[in-house]
Amino acid sequence: MKIAVVGKGGAGKTTVSAVLARGLSRRGGQVVALDCDTNPNLGLSLGVGDLETERLVTLREQVDEGSSEHAITWAEIVEHYGTDAPDDVRLTVITRIENPEPG
Amino acid sequence: MMRIAFVGKGGAGKSSLAGTVARLFGRNHRNVLAIDSDPVPGLAYALGVQVVDRPIPDDVVVEGAADGPRWVLRPGLDAAGLVEQYAPVGPDDVRYLQFGNLWGSIATIQRAQHAWSQAVRELPADLYDIVGDLPGGTRQPMAGWGKYADLVIVVVEPTVKSLHSARRLLTLSSAAWGPESILVVANKVRDRGDVAWIADRLGRAVDAASPWSEAMIQAERCNLAPLDAEPESDFVAGARALVESIELTYRLRQEVGT
Repeated sequence: MKIAVVGKGGAGKTTVSAVLARGLSRRGGQVVALDCDTNPNLGLSLGVGDLETERLVTLREQVDEGSSEHAITWAEIVEHYGTDAPDDVRLTVITRIENPEPG
Repeated sequence: MMRIAFVGKGGAGKSSLAGTVARLFGRNHRNVLAIDSDPVPGLAYALGVQVVDRPIPDDVVVEGAADGPRWVLRPGLDAAGLVEQYAPVGPDDVRYLQFGNLWGSIATIQRAQHAWSQAVRELPADLYDIVGDLPGGTRQPMAGWGKYADLVIVVVEPTVKSLHSARRLLTLSSAAWGPESILVVANKVRDRGDVAWIADRLGRAVDAASPWSEAMIQAERCNLAPLDAEPESDFVAGARALVESIELTYRLRQEVGT
């Protein structure tokens, strides 16, 4: 299955995605949860915590800044830019993160 | 003249506050242009403008020269003309310009986007105070609007996720082209504790706070602007406090400048 959760801001996309991901995993699925938001915080709803959610953002930023290599295959992306969330869900941040040019 | 951008996480209340603030400025005899730059627009409701969907039409732009922007305003149409023709005047004399539309294709939105950024770039500075309602997330605040706004207002609700967004958006202050000032407004707060919690977690002062209420939910369902449905509400009081903070910010800036 490839499920995309969409809707207006604040409607609860992130919360629904997290519950879906963990629920499917509990039923025996092998689940990858992809955070595609420019402000990625799916980690908070999955339960990996503040610091780990921020760490994934930083990892992704290193790619955008060029100080870290782009992963080639999607398996590598999930491996390098992901973390293990509760219920064996693998969380990966795949959005490009916008940062202002420093002044 | 003011160029204000309302930013924040989706659902935090950017449109409701931006629309109410724009109208309060209109009542203060300012010449206000309210811009909805969300591809899925929602500002009209808060302004009390009775249009459902009024995007900038495709034919306002023509293909630009090879070395410039892909689309430019058609010959004979300048930024002021675009606003005059395509931004209807709503309550409190606020003009409303919408560049996205509910059912448009990507190509249509791209054309409108070019028209909009040319308009904001080229509008004579003394013509309008601009109040921008931006989409949630960081893309437009940091890439599109960043260059135009001289005051950014970060709307935060008392949730951890909203705080995460706010923290990222506050990094705009370190940008080379960043806004001169940033204000934080706490929205949908239940009590002073919520405001204190936001200030504490952000590590900075909250400049205004506006509570949500059952009456506001009812108003939204009846398609009534907060200012029309609940002018005496705490929400509108919060918006008034924000207007004062904004006026003060610009006044201080002028004094420092002279």
